Amino acid sequence: MPEIVLKNVKKVFGNKFVAVDNLNMYIADRSFITLLGPSGCGKTTTLRMIAGLETPTEGQITIDGVTVFDADKGINLPPDKRDVGFLFQNYALWPHMTVYKNIAFGLENLKWPKKQIEERVGELLDMLKIRPFVDRYPSELSGGQQQRVAIARTLAPKPKVLFMDEPLSNLDAKLRGEMRTELKRLHVDTNSTFIYVTHDQLEAMTLSTKVCLIESGKLQQFAPPLEIYQRPENLFVADFMGNPTMNFLSADVLEKGEGSLDMDFHGKKLRFHAADPFTDPIGDEIILGIRPEYITLCETGKLEALVYTTLPTGMETTVRILLDGELISAVVFGCVDYPIDTPIQFEFAGENILVFDKETGKRVGIGSVSVIE
Amino acid sequence: MNKTKNKVRAFFSKPANVILALFAALLVLLTLYPLCELVHHTFVVHATDATVLPGLKKGELTTASWKKLLFTESHKYSLINFYRPMFNSVLLATLSALFALVFGGTVAWLVTRSNLKGKKFISTVFIFPYIMPSWTLALFWLNMFKNPGVGTGSPGFVYSLTGLMAPEWFVYGLLPMVIVSGLHYAPFAYIFIGGILRNMDANLEEAATILKTKRTRILLKITLPIVKPAILSTFLLAFASVMGSYAVPIYLGSPVNFYVLTTKMKTLQTTAIGQAYIIALVMVIAGALIMMANSLLTGTRKSYTTVTGKSSQISLVDLKGANPVITAVLCLLLFFVCIMPLFSFALESVIIKAGDYSLSNMTLNYWFGASGSVSTTVGDTGILRDPAIWSAIQTSLKLSVCCALIAGSCGVIIGYAVVRRRGTKLSQWVSGLSFFPYLIPAMAFGAIYLAIASSFSFLANSFLVLVLVGSVKYLPFATKSGTNAMLQLSAEIEEAATIFGVSWWKRMTKIIIPIQKASIISGFLLPFTSCMRELSLFVMLVSSKTQTLTTMLMTYNEKGASQYGNAINLLIIVLVLAINFAVNKLTGASIDKGVGGN
Repeated sequence: MPEIVLKNVKKVFGNKFVAVDNLNMYIADRSFITLLGPSGCGKTTTLRMIAGLETPTEGQITIDGVTVFDADKGINLPPDKRDVGFLFQNYALWPHMTVYKNIAFGLENLKWPKKQIEERVGELLDMLKIRPFVDRYPSELSGGQQQRVAIARTLAPKPKVLFMDEPLSNLDAKLRGEMRTELKRLHVDTNSTFIYVTHDQLEAMTLSTKVCLIESGKLQQFAPPLEIYQRPENLFVADFMGNPTMNFLSADVLEKGEGSLDMDFHGKKLRFHAADPFTDPIGDEIILGIRPEYITLCETGKLEALVYTTLPTGMETTVRILLDGELISAVVFGCVDYPIDTPIQFEFAGENILVFDKETGKRVGIGSVSVIE
Repeated sequence: MNKTKNKVRAFFSKPANVILALFAALLVLLTLYPLCELVHHTFVVHATDATVLPGLKKGELTTASWKKLLFTESHKYSLINFYRPMFNSVLLATLSALFALVFGGTVAWLVTRSNLKGKKFISTVFIFPYIMPSWTLALFWLNMFKNPGVGTGSPGFVYSLTGLMAPEWFVYGLLPMVIVSGLHYAPFAYIFIGGILRNMDANLEEAATILKTKRTRILLKITLPIVKPAILSTFLLAFASVMGSYAVPIYLGSPVNFYVLTTKMKTLQTTAIGQAYIIALVMVIAGALIMMANSLLTGTRKSYTTVTGKSSQISLVDLKGANPVITAVLCLLLFFVCIMPLFSFALESVIIKAGDYSLSNMTLNYWFGASGSVSTTVGDTGILRDPAIWSAIQTSLKLSVCCALIAGSCGVIIGYAVVRRRGTKLSQWVSGLSFFPYLIPAMAFGAIYLAIASSFSFLANSFLVLVLVGSVKYLPFATKSGTNAMLQLSAEIEEAATIFGVSWWKRMTKIIIPIQKASIISGFLLPFTSCMRELSLFVMLVSSKTQTLTTMLMTYNEKGASQYGNAINLLIIVLVLAINFAVNKLTGASIDKGVGGN
């Protein structure tokens, strides 16, 4: 089973636009990797380069120990020699072929014996529950059914690596949820490596074993989803992951101690207790990164703000509070309603409060915060 | 060094790049090289020139031809042979293009945006004049209005029935030429503008309606600006086409000494070919200027012309009381323009003595008669018993099929490569080059190839040179329709097969071509139709062995065998319409799809 290694991969379009810049990645066997990032960040380009649909400008790519691309040595294996499958965003089903023909076409091309093709197609028809549609044309199928046919077609030759380019973005919310479940199950059942492109952080969180977050062609962080969520490397990652987004609160450093930090926050003195040693020297201005679930609304809280609005979803309620013109989100479990424009007390809870350097945007510490006076 | 080698290898590993490189070279050879030859030939003394340019020997290099044509004041030579024809050409082209635009554009708007009745009939028949040869309407005009007071003096339909004698300016000259050319190119405007109106997101207009904008204001401020790029290109394309047309001026202009550049060029070809080449060059330059104007004026704004939206519910303008009137007028007009000519040709081809429409004066002998059954200046048998005609039919069909196959296939392949490598310099270069032949007026194009054929003996007077010139000349249409077809197909459709290791050839034949079958066949149909009815391109290149139906028609008409001429004309129209109809029914392909309409 294959592992994929990218070394110093770079892609320049035209002569100017750098789509992917010096990307290094090690993708372990049987992992489910998501390439995550805002649109235009280079994630699809990265995927297409690994698949062989796009030629990198520089660098080296190996799949399963075989060098499939090397700019210096002039190696560039075509996609079909890389033993990969590719699931396209708009499915790219061939409109002039029936469901059966769409699935079988690739196998016929690989010169499989007819009997074996029939067996394999049958297997996939059952696996993806599309047997009733076997003689229909793509235009006679719903979006969800087309999606399943596309998956069946991609899986047919049993590729070792499966690439998916935003495969769920054309489906409605409910169907998307169902397909997510099936994709994750499919990953286990097919025993292969999945590489998945999405701009939806929730999809990345729920599906993957490891998330690769990219911005403007540069790798920001490559780690398991929960680690990215709890310990983002920088402000961009922290902001991109999580919904509602993390609160970023500016504070001025008053005193730096060994493993602790005193700061001024809207006239109150806060103390930060680091759980791990600081990774970098700390400047005079920092940003506190606090997830909404670590802001507790309670009468004993030492900080006070005004209720700006409440957004209930049923299971939980997001409360937006206003502190000296700065909006802060807090999440409360269950349905709670607060009258608008009334004062409310709050404090910071938990061990996962982050300290970012204001100048570099890098995370320098993680720990807890208490209000001193 | 190694890196460059790798880059080159990577570049040529993509079929699209190989195609582009290949066609870049081929098109330079077939369009730019002939152009250089043309320039060269304007400075060479030819056998025919030696008589008009005393003191110069054949083969010498000289600027005498230029001086003679452009700067000879004695006997007003330059005025008569160059400046006046040029002025006439520009005037004719401008007025005809305007007429085509207003007429075609109005009908396009009526069909797509109003509740006009009989849309199906109108939209089917409206394309007819473009499918029919350009001189069809000119001959029809003559059949209708000629009378003893003008021209050769033979009586036409209107005179024979009513005794009315139309004045000369109505029968010959600028006015009928503008009407006839305008009607011929109106389908152009109809297809282009109609296509955009149909594709335009109705939300754009609805958004204005919601904001309580008046209908007329929407038309002026929203619809027209969006259609503007199409209007401009249509105008320029029609302008270029009329500039290069030969048949209409020869039928309607030459009898009253109304010369344009093309007709003048043909005259000079026999007496002073060097000067004919200069006229050809002037036309090429005019074409290039038009192309530059086109890309300058529409280049950056083309992008939003193909905006498509999901909403297809367009609220149609209610024409109210005017509806039956407009419908009736339009249908009547189309009947006259599209269907009457056929009757007229049929009628004129069976009449023995011009102007007498009684049954006793009619005979089918001009069609089927045995030797000696009729007497004309060119023969005494019915055309369908004349081996020369059968040979011309064969040549025409063979030539059209060859040109359609070559131009059509190249168009598909170029379209594929250009779309796949969109944005690269090479792709822009190739698509620009492949459009180039469109701008060279057909007559000038023929002249260029004549110049080349004279230096390669295997080309001179051969069938091959006709195929070559036809294929190159119709490449722009084929490339345009090929590009359109490929643009509609997402690259992913092909990549999905690439992943399975399907070879390029198989991807083309099993996936891309079957999906875009109708559009691609349309790309073949257009060159075929154009070639069947082409005259100006071939008229200088045919030999006695390679006469086509159109050049035959020309000869017969010149020699005054009007029954034969009308019969051959009808034969060409029926052949073209029948083949178009058959292909359309069998494959769904159509001319308007080929030109880029929907």
